[in-house]
Formats: sequence, structure tokens, C-alpha cells
Amino acid sequence: MISARKHMRAAVLVGLFFVAISGLILHNMPGEAVAQEDAAQHEESGAAVQEAPAEATQEEAAVEQEAPAEVAQEEPAVEQEAPADAAPATSAAGVECYESRKDATKILQVQNANPKYGYPNVKCSPTTGAVLWYGDPYTGTEPIGEMPTYGDKTDGDFAQAVIRPRTGHLKTIQQTNMQCSGCHQAPPQQTNPRQLMMHQDIVSDASKLQHGRGAIWCLDCHNAENRDTLIDQQGNEVSFNQSQKVCGSCHGDLYSDWRMGLHGKRTGEWKVGGKKRWWTCTECHNPHTVQEHRFDPVKPEPPPALPRGMSKDDLKGAEGHGDHGGGH
Amino acid sequence: MSEDKRKNDIAEGQDDGATKESRRDFLKKLGVAAAATTVAPAATAKAASIAEHLQTHFEMMSDSQKEKAIARLEKRYSEQFEKQVTVANTPAPDGVLFGYALNISKCIGCRRCVEACVRENNQSRGEEDTRHLPIQWIRVLEMTRGNDTFQLENWHKGSPSSSPIGDYGVQSGGHADKAVGISGHAEHYYYPEQVPEENSFYFPVQCQQCEDPACVRACPVRATFRDPNGIVVIDYNWCIGCRMCQLACPYWARRFNWGEPILPNEDMNPKTHYLGNRPRMRGVMEKCTFCLQRVRDGRYPACVEACPVGARKFGNLLDPESEIRKILANKKVFRFKEDFNTEPKFFYYMD
Repeated sequence: MISARKHMRAAVLVGLFFVAISGLILHNMPGEAVAQEDAAQHEESGAAVQEAPAEATQEEAAVEQEAPAEVAQEEPAVEQEAPADAAPATSAAGVECYESRKDATKILQVQNANPKYGYPNVKCSPTTGAVLWYGDPYTGTEPIGEMPTYGDKTDGDFAQAVIRPRTGHLKTIQQTNMQCSGCHQAPPQQTNPRQLMMHQDIVSDASKLQHGRGAIWCLDCHNAENRDTLIDQQGNEVSFNQSQKVCGSCHGDLYSDWRMGLHGKRTGEWKVGGKKRWWTCTECHNPHTVQEHRFDPVKPEPPPALPRGMSKDDLKGAEGHGDHGGGH
Repeated sequence: MSEDKRKNDIAEGQDDGATKESRRDFLKKLGVAAAATTVAPAATAKAASIAEHLQTHFEMMSDSQKEKAIARLEKRYSEQFEKQVTVANTPAPDGVLFGYALNISKCIGCRRCVEACVRENNQSRGEEDTRHLPIQWIRVLEMTRGNDTFQLENWHKGSPSSSPIGDYGVQSGGHADKAVGISGHAEHYYYPEQVPEENSFYFPVQCQQCEDPACVRACPVRATFRDPNGIVVIDYNWCIGCRMCQLACPYWARRFNWGEPILPNEDMNPKTHYLGNRPRMRGVMEKCTFCLQRVRDGRYPACVEACPVGARKFGNLLDPESEIRKILANKKVFRFKEDFNTEPKFFYYMD
């Protein structure tokens, strides 16, 4: 016990010595220069996407979509440093970032939804434009709606489950600013799988759809009678916001994992029965290309800084860097 | 710093009734000496007060001492970062043991978790071309998918295939297609245009929140300890920077602040916790705390919310209905370096 105390005392002594020295050095460090250098670093990363946090609620998404990335490119790093404690009214126009999957959700406007701590609602990566951080994970969400019960105890989770509606984020609706029924009023006359004249940006060749290995076609999921909805394998009309019901009618195992929270993404509270934002299938997977790859490839965030004296060339090949894993 | 203020600071530092008289006197003298050395240049907002240096271990503080310590910190941080900074002292919730699960068959190696962690937890952003490297708590390792040892094109090659004595088809160590001494390869400096790369899988490593943590055993001053929810935390004020814990950790999970952390005011996350993401000083150790400041408020950790593929799962190991328990029950689960007997609360699983 005595020796332990001695040890502590010695430690404190050493600590205080460091404190004294660090105090001296600290005073010689100009804080402004540090901040500037950091800002320069941010500029260097040179992405079109700005750093300022962005958020668009569902209602605004349709209105705001004409102000995309071009604006962001014209305006350089001046507006980039939107202060984190910005007033709720502050917004940096033209910021575009996305959540799980590019083209699945676009976030176009900064909105401070959590003024309690002065948080911006969403922070996006300056290099890739991906959403990294949620202040209020429930903005723009709505209750998940009716879910079939399997009798397990996780049903308590559904009471507070919310999702972000998908309809406003659908590619064609974003481009044309109208619902699918704006063009598709009558059921199609031809229903056989074939190459379509339209929507080749979504599916390049619908006769070789990258989903279902040739067994399914557009109208197996899209409702021919009402194009604003989907249709599941039992013929039930399903909203685009509830795509999990369509996906789940074939992929039952994944659907059950998703319901339990073992598959897919959730944000919000970790407690069982806590309020969570559930992420539906199409927010992460592109159903038209899911056979090619489960997730669309994305640009990664930058790698960690290399240790001093190492360059990228040192990394090529397996030889010669079995030993740098230490870092200690 | 005026004479009065210094006196006040010293007086505040004395309120640790738990310690012995002699130690207190000793510290008082030292404190005066330290104050004399730091007073010379104009005292900046960055400088920690004497009272902060003299405060006791967080676990030993009384409630009033904690309040004072936190008030001191909030004042200092608010001045330094020019915004209202809160330092919470949310207690550990009862009946909760935090666990984490990571699906390595889903991870695409996009490193968004790393970036989110840096932003949430106020890590030092670092500087280019100095010894002052940025600090990241999570490392994502890229590995080759498949059976590295026996690839068809290397079937008839010995090892090392580039051996100066020739290629005799005899395995002499390492892998069949790798030079001797390199068994498999994990790369965390990968920089492709797009991820996931074909034939790669990714293995993120961060603090495993061990039940029997080697770092806690190694710490000579018990600056790092395990909180009641199973998270290994650090009292940054009590850390003496000896880096014994870093040496002891088998998971490469601890990071040392070699210099004054570089944290721009506008990037600083003002919602902090005493044991979690409050700004660190130079010369202390830091590590992942499962975003203590978030999870004690009921939120998911930042890396869970940032992961675009939902590979990261978090929850209460004591609740049989939690996601984490269902993963343990239903999936193929393993723990990293299980043979060290550190009993991590961090699980890797596969579909």
C-alpha cells in the first residue's frame, strides 16, 4: 500500500513536471496559424462537395432539386466554414451529399434541427460527400406503418420505428418532378421482358435485369395498374416507402433478420423499444443492380496519414511492409 | 494570471479531502512552483488551471469536486473554442453491459466510421508533413479474400518463389505464395478509387472494450479503468503519458497525443463527456469509448450511425431481445485475438 502511494506520488511529480514544460511550450504556439493551416488543408482536399453540413427535409427535397452541385463548385471555401453553432436560419446553399447510397437520397440544404446544443443536423464528408453524422436522426421521418407480426418480442420496436419516405428520392421523380403515373397512365400492352426505350439510366437492358437471374422483370415488382406503387409476390399493392414488403416477399430470411435488427442499418436509440430510424432495403441496395454487387461501389474516405519517412510507393506489393503494423 | 486568481486556483485544488495531508502539502508546493513557471507569458485560455492539475482521480472525487472540475473544464473549453461547450457527467445506466458487433461480410471499407469517429470525438486533425499526425481511433484493415495459402496459379511454386536458391516447390515458411516471415497481409493504407475492391474484405479494428483489459492492468496510476457498463475509459487528467497501456494493448487500439491536439473551433463537437470526447491535452492517451457521451444518453455510437451498409451493431448484452444478443445467438461470431483471454465485448460476425 505504501509503495503504491509512493508510486502515485512519483507519477504526479512527473506529471507536474510535464505540465510545467508543456505550459512553456504551449505559450509559444500561435493558435491562429494552426487554424489557417488546417483550413488550407481542407481546401487542398479539393472536392466539389463542401464541408458545411446539409439537410433537406422531405417537403423541400422536391423544391430544392434545381440547386445542385454547380453552385457548390462556383462558391469556394468561403462558405465552407459554417460555424457548428449556427443559428437555425443559417444555411449553405448548394451543398449536396448523400446517405447510404449515392442517388438514393440527396441532401441539399443545411438545416439546423437541434438548436439545443447548436448542432447542425447533418455533417457531410468534404472528400466524398457522404453523410457522416446525424444531429437529429429522425428529421424528415414518418412512422414505419403497418408491419406483419411474427409473434416475437421485438414487436415492441415497431411502436416507435420511423423511416424516411423514399418517394421523393426516386430517380425519375427527381428528374421530372412528377409521379410515375404522369407518364404511365394505362397498363402496358406488352408485358414480356424486353429492352425498353426509356429508363436506360436505371436499367441499361431490362431484358437482362441484374436481379433475379433472369427470372423476374420490371412488372414483377412495379405495379402495372398503378405505377406509383409496387406490387409484392402475393399481388398486394405496396408503397415505395415500404419497399421492404416487396423485397421480403422473396428474401424472407433477410427480411426476418432485418426485422430483428441483425441486417441493415438503424439510427437513433440503442435500447430495445427505443425510437429508431429504420433503413429500408432500397436505401442501401440498388434493386436493379443488386445481382452485380450488393452495394454500389463508393469512393472511400482518405487513408490514415502515413508514418514519417514512408511514401505510397513503399506500400505496393506485399513485400517489405510486414513490419509497419506496430505504430506503437 | 493575477496573484488572487492563482491563490483561488490553488485553494480549489486542495479540496480533495480523500488524500493524505502530506501529499496535499507536497502538491501545494509543487503547484506554486508550476504556477510560477507558467505565469511568465500571458496566460491563454488554453492553459489548464492549477486546480485542474491538482484534482484527484475521477473515481475518487466527491460529487462536489466533480462539479467543480467540470465547471472548470466547461469554462476553459468554452473560452478556447469560442462556443458553449458542455462537459457531461452522465452516470453509467444500470443493468447495461454494452456490446458491439461488426459484420465483416458486409463491411465495404469506406472508412466513413473513421471519419465520423474523428468528428464526433474531437480527435486531433493533425498536420501534414510534421510529426503531428492526425489521430484516428478506428483502423480499417484490407485483406485479400479467399484462401491465400493455396491459389491455383501458385500451386506448383515453392516459397519463397523469389528465393535466391531457386524455386524447388518446397514450402519453407510463411504462405505458399508469400515470402518467408509474412503470413497473410493486412493493409490499412489502401487508397483505391472505389471500394469495395474485388477479392478484398475489410476488418475494422478499434478498442475491443475487454472484460479483462491488458491496458488497465498495465496502467501504473489507474488512469484507465473499466466503467460499470463495460467500457474502458481514461481520466485524461490523471494520465501521466507513460504509454504502458499502449504497449499492453494487443489490439492497437490506443492513440497517444504527441503534440497539442489540432482541433479547429468550427469542427469541435461541443457536446462532450468527462470520460469521453472532451478535448484532450498533449501527452495523454486516448481511445474509443463506444461514444460514451452518446450511448449514455441512449444514442447509438457515431460509427454505427455513419456506416452506410449497416455492418455495425450495438446494444445491451444483458437484454436478450437486443440486436447484439440476437447476433450472438444466430450468427457465426468470433472475437479478435481470443487467445489473449482479454474477453472483448466487441464481436465480429459473418452472415
